[in-house]
Amino acid sequence: MSESTKAAASDVKVDPVLVAIIGRALKAITEEMSVSMERTTRSPILCEARDYVTGLYDAEGRMLEQTENLPILSFSLAPVCKHIAQKFKGNIFPGDVFFHNDVFSLGNQNNDVAAFKPIFVGDQLVAWSATKGHQADIGGNVRGGYNPDATEIWQEALRIPAVKVVERGAVRKDVWDLIFANIRLDIVEADMQAEIGSCTVGERRLQALIGKYGLEVFEAHKLALFDAAKKLMQAEIRAIPKGSYMGEAWAYYDGKNVGSKYKIKVTITVDDEHIRFDYTGTDKQTNAFVNGTYTSSASATVLTFLQMVNPDIPHNEGMLEPIDIVIPEGTILNAAFPAATTYGNHLCPNNADAIIRALAPVIPERVGAGWNQLLCSLSTGTDTTKAEPYVDIMFMGLKGGSGAMPTCDGYDHIGMIDASGGVLDQDYEMFEQQTPHLLLEHELLCDSAGAGKYRGGLGVRTRYRVGGTGTQLVTFGDGDVEPAFGLQGGREGTLNKIELHRPDGSTVVPRTKDIVKDVPAGTEYLQIAGGGGGWGDPRERPAAKVCDEVRNGVISRGAALELYGVALDERLEIDEDATARLRGKRS
Amino acid sequence: MAFKLGIDVGGTFTDLFLWSSDGRIETHKTLSTPADPSIGLVDGLRALAERVGMEHGAFLRSISAIVHGTTVTTNATLTRNGATTGLFTTEGVRDALEMRRGIREAQYDNRYQNVTPLVPRALRLPVKGRLDRDGTELTALDLDDVRRGVETMKQAGVGAVAVCFMNSFANPAHERAAAELVRAAMPDAYVSASTEVLPTVRFYNRVSTTVMNAYVGPILKGYLDRLTKRLAEVGFGGVLLIMQSSGGVALPTVTMGRPAATLLSGPAGAPAAAAAYTKDIGNGDCVVVDMGGTSFDASLVRGGEAAMRNEGDIERLRIALPMLEITTIGAGGGSIAWIDEGGLLRMGPQSAGAMPGPACYGRGGEKPCVTDANVVLGYLDPHNFAGGRLTLDVEAAKRAITERVAKPLGLSLQQAAAGMYRVVNANMAHGVREVTVRRGIDPRELPLVVAGGAGPLHACMIAEELEIENIVVPPTASVLCATGMVLSDLRHDFARSYMRRLSRLDFKELNALLAELEAEAEAQLHAEGVAPTQRRLEPAFDLRYLKQYHEVTVPVARADIAKGELSATTSAFHAEHNRLYGYDLGKEGTDIELITVRLKAVGTTDKPVLPRVPPAEGEIKRALSGARRAFVPEDNDFELTPIYQASMLMAGDHIPGPALIERVDTTIVVTRSFSATIDALGSARLTRNLTRKV
Repeated sequence: MSESTKAAASDVKVDPVLVAIIGRALKAITEEMSVSMERTTRSPILCEARDYVTGLYDAEGRMLEQTENLPILSFSLAPVCKHIAQKFKGNIFPGDVFFHNDVFSLGNQNNDVAAFKPIFVGDQLVAWSATKGHQADIGGNVRGGYNPDATEIWQEALRIPAVKVVERGAVRKDVWDLIFANIRLDIVEADMQAEIGSCTVGERRLQALIGKYGLEVFEAHKLALFDAAKKLMQAEIRAIPKGSYMGEAWAYYDGKNVGSKYKIKVTITVDDEHIRFDYTGTDKQTNAFVNGTYTSSASATVLTFLQMVNPDIPHNEGMLEPIDIVIPEGTILNAAFPAATTYGNHLCPNNADAIIRALAPVIPERVGAGWNQLLCSLSTGTDTTKAEPYVDIMFMGLKGGSGAMPTCDGYDHIGMIDASGGVLDQDYEMFEQQTPHLLLEHELLCDSAGAGKYRGGLGVRTRYRVGGTGTQLVTFGDGDVEPAFGLQGGREGTLNKIELHRPDGSTVVPRTKDIVKDVPAGTEYLQIAGGGGGWGDPRERPAAKVCDEVRNGVISRGAALELYGVALDERLEIDEDATARLRGKRS
Repeated sequence: MAFKLGIDVGGTFTDLFLWSSDGRIETHKTLSTPADPSIGLVDGLRALAERVGMEHGAFLRSISAIVHGTTVTTNATLTRNGATTGLFTTEGVRDALEMRRGIREAQYDNRYQNVTPLVPRALRLPVKGRLDRDGTELTALDLDDVRRGVETMKQAGVGAVAVCFMNSFANPAHERAAAELVRAAMPDAYVSASTEVLPTVRFYNRVSTTVMNAYVGPILKGYLDRLTKRLAEVGFGGVLLIMQSSGGVALPTVTMGRPAATLLSGPAGAPAAAAAYTKDIGNGDCVVVDMGGTSFDASLVRGGEAAMRNEGDIERLRIALPMLEITTIGAGGGSIAWIDEGGLLRMGPQSAGAMPGPACYGRGGEKPCVTDANVVLGYLDPHNFAGGRLTLDVEAAKRAITERVAKPLGLSLQQAAAGMYRVVNANMAHGVREVTVRRGIDPRELPLVVAGGAGPLHACMIAEELEIENIVVPPTASVLCATGMVLSDLRHDFARSYMRRLSRLDFKELNALLAELEAEAEAQLHAEGVAPTQRRLEPAFDLRYLKQYHEVTVPVARADIAKGELSATTSAFHAEHNRLYGYDLGKEGTDIELITVRLKAVGTTDKPVLPRVPPAEGEIKRALSGARRAFVPEDNDFELTPIYQASMLMAGDHIPGPALIERVDTTIVVTRSFSATIDALGSARLTRNLTRKV
């Protein structure tokens, strides 16, 4: 923004009603950008699962609003936008587009490639639109990314520090070709075009909005919007008792050293209207790819905390202002250059556990039990009948249950906390259209939820028969050692598992970060995503509800009896006397 | 004399629109009778008979057609009062219905709960048998699973059964065999197989739609049986037609084949009426908004026809059938004002409803609502609200706004009411953007047709917000859906999955497929007695760029397909893709894939001619009934504003803003930037003045 606009903006009388109107309009624009991505991308990771985010930023890169299908991606867009605005200062023109994925200039993950488009009114830069999605391939040693053998970034991915790929509306073909010559799948090029299209939708709409109210009015009301979000966040922080609270969690297996585990330690200091998350004491970075970047870890912190506060706070720069995050460089959450970091996004569940453990005793009414950790797989190969390569992340298989809350059950089959239900299962028939595999089972898993007065969310069991040729399976995740924890007497959830039953009768159990090459057609893939932790004594759960769940096959008769103290007869009717005895016994 | 009647049964009111062959129209609003809506409907008929001065029986015998829009299926879904429903589905995927692809709409709210599925898990029964993605059988169907399941369902008192198997869109054989068995074994149950409802790819969409179809089937059947019986009893001998969510109408027997097509059909009549009242403006495009007590519906008319989409949601449950592109938001006369924790003024979506209603209703409501703001702003006459049926308590409205909006925000009473008015107008403008800008359409170029009891109070400021130049408030604005029903055509939609690259299209096969759909459509229209000259078949393709997974629906010319010619179709696709998504790949020459072939079958009905109002004579003073102080948004101040009685206005009358035009059931607020002209059909046309405000 020019100095004259700034000065003019400060003369504008802020109209509280218009602040609300502009806030709503910004949200609508990012939602439209999101629809554009969903409807035009090719990779199932984007169009089916929605593993992308969209956002608007002001001329300096401050967050105006976002649509966060996968929040772990989203809180690094503003830092990168600021970086680009600085780096290209004086060299930014209408019709430009910039790409970025570099984790050592504030990106969160190599595969999460962002497009940024500057938005002009006349010849004045007024804002940016940005879209970032998990691309199906980004070069490096392993198809689809996730190279557990990597020790440095060059083995993982093509680095794209902020580069201009379109200048004044004309594609810089040399730069463009350099990028896509280093990426395996042609759909990635098409999906980056879709990202640019989404940015253009944001550009068209924001220009119209600013055109309607005038730039000075827009600028003044933008600041008021930041201020409103800041006040909302401060009010939430004031409701937390002042003090310093510590939480710890463990991340298991770094992809190289069997039996390895790493501590994540957070100290949360609440000081009136300000909250600070300090990760001093967290273990050193690994010599493998299980390492976070500052922005992936800070995103994890923010999204976890946002689930403990008023969910209606607008997501803009003001919301983040009262939040301070300190992550010492060289730790597993903020690895130093040139470490491998592809796994970093997936340290979010562990990071979240540390935060939940720290705050559960302090604000028990707002904090739920532990979530099922992510365990994921990615298959690549050739769909022989179509004679085409494919990449698929097994989204439907990875989505376990969330932790129970003090007032309600956890959410069944929601998936990792980093997405919080924003990422979707592939549609079953689309999965079979997009891959050579055949889905055999995808159902809620009986007894997977942590028992409690409020039970955890249920996990799922998934089986598919591998088809095609040249199949390679990559796994990444956790949750095979420590299940989701319960709170206030609630029981823990269940563990994750992936197994490959090969046609010759042998079974392969990949590690949680692994590459399995040459998986033969006919292999049966089996995955269990565990349930979330329970909250409160299971014997306080209404017996009728337990009975209903037994009839629906999500709690077994045995578990009803042993964990919930509900006795059911052969016809699945409640045995009132036996149940009273079981439930009375405990007091 | 012969009559045509439109009846729109809503949750609160039943609206009737009667057209007589002598060219006159009558409208009537009566309270709905939710326990059995056909009672309220018959009451309405009685009132109309009196209105036209005819004996009841003679009146009913003179009605050639009743077009009826019902919310029984929508309400049964919203209140979970549908049939006890069972589902037969492929072994291994019975939870797709409940898991809804694992979405949690409120990402940061850990207390947000999933929707209870329409079929409990215990009644979602697995069946062995499997087809691959091309429809080739991998495992034979095990009918014993179905037989055993039938017993389970009988014991559970199941009244409706859905059948949905994996990949059945590519081969319906398994589903047909299973459905046949169930129909024979459970003759009283309503049975719905997914390929009969929606033979297209995407399992979740299909299973959800089929289950919903089954769930509301017995409800609709019971209602239509009662209604036809009751109408026969009172001597009605004409044709009964049912409104569908596609904006078309169908015979009750046809509707029973796809009851889910009546879900969300409530506002579906409005676009046809809007098109009729704006026939002479531009190229037949307009935006229609309908604002009632609790909600605001925005829809779109393009080229004289309602804009459509191929899927939507009801209470977060997917229904993938062609339906009007309608956005509904919680904005109505009863929407409540509140201040959020950041100090921002919000309006709705909570509504005070009819009980207690806005504070000014004097029924104990303390929360400030949109209607309260309209009273304070001087837009509503407290002594003549809803045709004089209710006297509004101005002091209560002032009190509510002062305590809950003005004081917390540090505003005066008037400023607070004006703020409420602006915020709700902005919310509604966003609703309009959803159906326009989101589809790549610029609302500024379109006339805004305003309906509903509360709509005309807000019309100018919604238009202002969207920079729309022309507003049309039809004479039947408060019963616009009922009006539109009489003006709607018979309509049926057919769709078939057909996945091919355009560059490799086998036109012989494609033409054969289209011919098959056309034969089906012709048979349907023939059964409904539509003469061949009255039939119209319109094919469309769902297209996408190679390897994309979502489609854009593009109309195609039948002659082009017959000739094997596609260039017009592909150019239309590129243009639509760019408008919607910010880019196209026309220059790149990327191949395009055809996914679904659609066919819309229309049987045009004889439309009544809307009556004209006589041209203006003498001075407009005849309509001037007084003046009161009312808020002028452009000045941000109050001004003594003239009041006109709509009943005294004639074609050509011109009223500059600011002005208030009062009708029996609503008031049109003309702000300073607009002036009103009465057109030949009696609509108030509000046009933005040439000198724009800065």
